[in-house]
This record gives sequence, structure tokens and C-alpha cells, in this order.
Amino acid sequence: MAPIIEIHHLRKTYGKLTAVEDLSLHVEPGAIFGFVGPNGAGKTTTMRILTTLMSPSGGEAWVAGHSVTKDPRGVRRAIGYMPDFFGVYDDMSVWEYLDFFGACYEIPEAKRASINKDLLELVDLAHRRDDRVEGLSRGMKQRLALARTLAHDPQVLILDEPASGLDPRARIEIRELLVELARMGKTIFFSTHILADVAEICTDVGIIEAGKLVAMGKLEEMQRRLMPHRRIHVTLIGKIDEAQALLAGVEGVTAVNVESQVEPPGRSEIVVEYNGDDTEVSAILAKLIGASIPVVHFSEDVRDMEAVFMQATKGIVS
Amino acid sequence: MAESALPTPKPQKAPKKPTLSLRERLAANPVILKELRGRMRGNRGFITLTVYLGLMGLFTVLLYLAYTASTTNVYGPSNQIAGKVVFAGLVGVELFLVCFIAPAFTAGAISGERERQTYELLRTTLLPARSLVMGKLTSALSFIVLLLFAAVPLQSLAFLLGGVAPEEVMISLVVLLVTALASGSAGIFFSAIMRRTLGASVLTYAFALVSVLGLPLLMLTFIPAYDIFFYGYGSSPSPLLQAVLIYGFGVLVCLNPLATALFTEAILVNEHSALGMSYSLSNGATIPLVSPWIPYTFICLFFSLAMILITIQIVKRKETS
Repeated sequence: MAPIIEIHHLRKTYGKLTAVEDLSLHVEPGAIFGFVGPNGAGKTTTMRILTTLMSPSGGEAWVAGHSVTKDPRGVRRAIGYMPDFFGVYDDMSVWEYLDFFGACYEIPEAKRASINKDLLELVDLAHRRDDRVEGLSRGMKQRLALARTLAHDPQVLILDEPASGLDPRARIEIRELLVELARMGKTIFFSTHILADVAEICTDVGIIEAGKLVAMGKLEEMQRRLMPHRRIHVTLIGKIDEAQALLAGVEGVTAVNVESQVEPPGRSEIVVEYNGDDTEVSAILAKLIGASIPVVHFSEDVRDMEAVFMQATKGIVS
Repeated sequence: MAESALPTPKPQKAPKKPTLSLRERLAANPVILKELRGRMRGNRGFITLTVYLGLMGLFTVLLYLAYTASTTNVYGPSNQIAGKVVFAGLVGVELFLVCFIAPAFTAGAISGERERQTYELLRTTLLPARSLVMGKLTSALSFIVLLLFAAVPLQSLAFLLGGVAPEEVMISLVVLLVTALASGSAGIFFSAIMRRTLGASVLTYAFALVSVLGLPLLMLTFIPAYDIFFYGYGSSPSPLLQAVLIYGFGVLVCLNPLATALFTEAILVNEHSALGMSYSLSNGATIPLVSPWIPYTFICLFFSLAMILITIQIVKRKETS
């Protein structure tokens, strides 16, 4: 399947400062792509280039097959953009706000009423349609902004920090909305600082630091690539020495440690440090069972997004 | 070959764009509707119009009373002169208003969008830069035109008193409209080049002050120099120099709305012509002088067009730094 977002050797400089350097990535249609990086890493610059607000100093990018430099109008037709701030018109109602942006996307007047109604229902703001935009809570404004980006039914949503500054409930609501939109076939490209959100909803992740893409791919692949070292916990109710000896002889095992205090009494736990893939992990379990070692629990430490991020980045600030 | 026997399809003509009505054109530019809706929402538009007409009415009455109280004519105040005074006073106030109110409506047009952080949202939609600029300008000018037309009944009081020709009313309206267009266009230009509305307003008002008050001051400094050239050396200067000086002064007049109004009125009263007059040089030859409102109108239209086109280019331009 052809990528819906494609970036080739993108570069953006401001005088002597290089904001984005030789950035190449691609996003498949229907993906939820999390664009992660520290402040000043070049996330917003990349998004501004993708949304045609900024010209690149070098390289090229395409969205839905349209070049951001040669066919900005085609790109604008294909994207819905939500920046990290909420632009408010003081004296507009929620309905007028959506209607105005719908008109800006050249949606015929006759169709706008039903589209706006559907969008307000999707973001659960139908009951606030006649309220002033400035009177909405931050979470509601963010949901309205998301509805605005959907007015012209774009293929791609480009969202800059969509959950920034939201309370936990609003954050979860936005997260659920993004998943729902992905289910509807939208491709979502969003930047965030909240790594839990990335781990929760993203199908693909790109990590950028000092303007360079330092890692990209499916989250699991990235975990495997960046953190090949695995830690397996094995709980037993006997034959602890036999198990220790068996595990120490397995190829790829770098250390076998016995935990001294295990609850409830009578159980023992062995922590195995291991480099290998899932098939080999399942073979270890099979060996233990085959040797009649009484295993009651076998699990692997979850390598979270934070660990992956820390492994991928060096803390460089441009 | 079989393929060559196939009839070649005739290239189809592109469908003709349907002619849009005024309402459809307004609806096609969402910025106009949004701005007009915002400007006229609630009591705001009604109160502005009422206060404006109240003040203009009060000014008209005061002007009439001041004239009748100050007249030294043995037969009492002349209705014709009273009509001219009322008319000239009203047009003068409107001209001043247009020079300083139109920029106020447009100086925040683009910079205000930046301050509200809605500019980038608009730039990522399909709204063309020209629709944004023209929408802002049209809505601002529509309100000014509403104010000008609302004051026409007050101007027409002069007809009851007499002394004002229909051409004077028409010319004054044209001068007012093109001045509003030029002032509004200057405001929107400064709004596009400045990040903040405050900066845009300062530049716009500085421009308005220089063009409305600065140029007449410049002309006043020129007048003694003209006197020396024409009469100061006992003999008249060469006819060529005379013509150059007259036309030079004319150009300065045509750059200023107040001077344009005054000199146009002078030609109307003295020469009974709305189009121009002849001027006799020292050698007896005559040179034609066009009534200042005509070149002034063209200058304003050209200036406005240039400002609008530059503003559209600025809005179109992508951020590079």
C-alpha cells in the first residue's frame, strides 16, 4: 500500500539553526502515527511543513500524493490540521464556528447543516451548539477543534499536541476519539509529550531529536530493536537449583538470579536476563516444563514507551 | 487498424461558470458573512449608527445656528449660503471620519487573526488569500458605506435651503467612497505586514495623518515660494516654469482629500464646471486644469488596487523564518 504521508530528506533551517535535518519517514494509510520528541526537536516545524504553512529549506514531502511545495491546495484538501493552540472568535457560537470553517473548506451551504450536526454528535457537543465558543472548557474546545478538522472529511489528520493541557478525563476522551477516527479510516499523525498516549493508541511511532529522526516503526518492533535485552520472571514451587542450572545453560541467557523473598511462602522466583525473540522465550518455558520443573508463573517485564524513548534519545536540545 | 477507425471524441468545452447573484457572491466568501454578522450582532451596529447619526444631526443644527447667528447680511441669513455651509460642513466631517475610521476597521483585519491564533487555521483551509483580504476589506467598507448613505438624508437638507447642485452631492459621494477605499486598503496592508494590531494601527494612523494633514502643511510651505516665483521679482517667470509650478501644485492637491474637496468646490463655484478649467499664463496662453476630484479618484483607485494586490501576496507568502 502506498504511504499516505511521505517525507524525503526534509530540511529546515532558520539562519544558522537547523530545526529539521535530513528527515525521512512514511506513514501508511489508516495508521495512528505518534511523533515524539523533546521540546525544540523539530516536531512542530515538520508538521507546519506538512500542513503547507512553511516552506522546507530542502527535501520534499507528500500528503495523499500531493507535494507540499508544488500542490499545497491538494494537500490542504487532504488534511485536517489542529495546532497546539485553540484559535477563538470571541463572538461566535459553536455552530457558527463549524459552519464558518465548513464554508472555508468550500462545503456547499446545503450540506453544511447536516455535516455540522453529525460532527457535533461525534465529538459529543450537540447540546452546546448555540453556546459561545469562548465559554467552553478546554477539553470541549479541543473536541470542537477536532470536529473542525473533520469538516471536509479529510484523509489525514495532523494534530499538534492534541492532549496538551487537558485534565485526565478530557485526555482520555480525546484519545478515544482518535481511536474512533482511525477506525473510520482516517490516518492520524500527531505529536505529543505524553508517552502513555503513544503506547496506548499508536500503531506507529517516530522519535525525533535535534531535528533528526532517531527511531521509527511499529512500537513492538522498536522495542525489540532498541531494547533486545529481556527480563523474564519465573515463579516455582520447588526444584529451584535444577531450574537455575537448566536456565544458565540456555543460549542467550546472560544472567540467572534467584529472588530471596517471594510471597506467598513456599514459592521461589528466578529472574532471567535474556537476549532473544518470542519463539526462543516460549522454548525456555517448554524446556522447564519438559524437565518437570513446577512452574506456577512465567512472565516478561513490560518495556514501556518511556524506556524506549530514553533508549532512543540522548537528551540533545537544539 | 481498428483503433484508427474509432471516431476521435470531440474536446468538450469547459462548462461556463454560472453568473452568481450578489447574495451568492457574498455567501461564496465566508469571511464577509462572518465579519458582517459579527459587526451587526446584537445592538452594537444599531447603537453605532444611532450615535453617529445623532452626532451628525447635532452638528448640522449647530452649524446652521452658528451661520445664522454670525451673518451680517442686512437682509438676514441667506438660505443658499446656509445650505452650502451645512453641506460643506457635513462632507468635511464625513471626509475626516472616513480618513480615520476606515483604517480603524481594517488595521486589525489580518493582525487580529494572528492575535486570535486563527490565521494559521484559515491558511490551512481552502480559503484563498484573496478571499481573506477582500472579505475583510469588503465587510469593513460595507459598514462605512452604510454610515455614509445613512447620512445622505442629512446632506439633502441642503437641498431644502438651496445653493447646492446635484453634481456637488455626486462628486462628494465619489470622493468619500474612494477615500474610504484607499484608507481601508492602507489599513489592511499595514495589518498584513505587522504582527500586532497595535503596531498596525500606529502605522496606519501615521499614514493617515501624513496624507490628510501633512500634505496640506507641505502645500502651505510651498505657497510663499510660489508667490516669490510669480510676483516677487517684478517680472513674471517664464510661462513654462509657471505651467510646471501650477501642475506641481495640482499634483499635491490631488494627493489630499481635503485639498481636493476645496479646490473642486472652488472650480465648481467660480467656473461652474465639474470637469475643470483653463488657466491663463503670463504670455496669454492657456493651459487646461482638470478638476482635482478626477485625478484624485484615479489615484485612490490605483493606490487601493496596489495595496490590495501587495496584501494578497503577503498573505499568500509562506512563512520562511
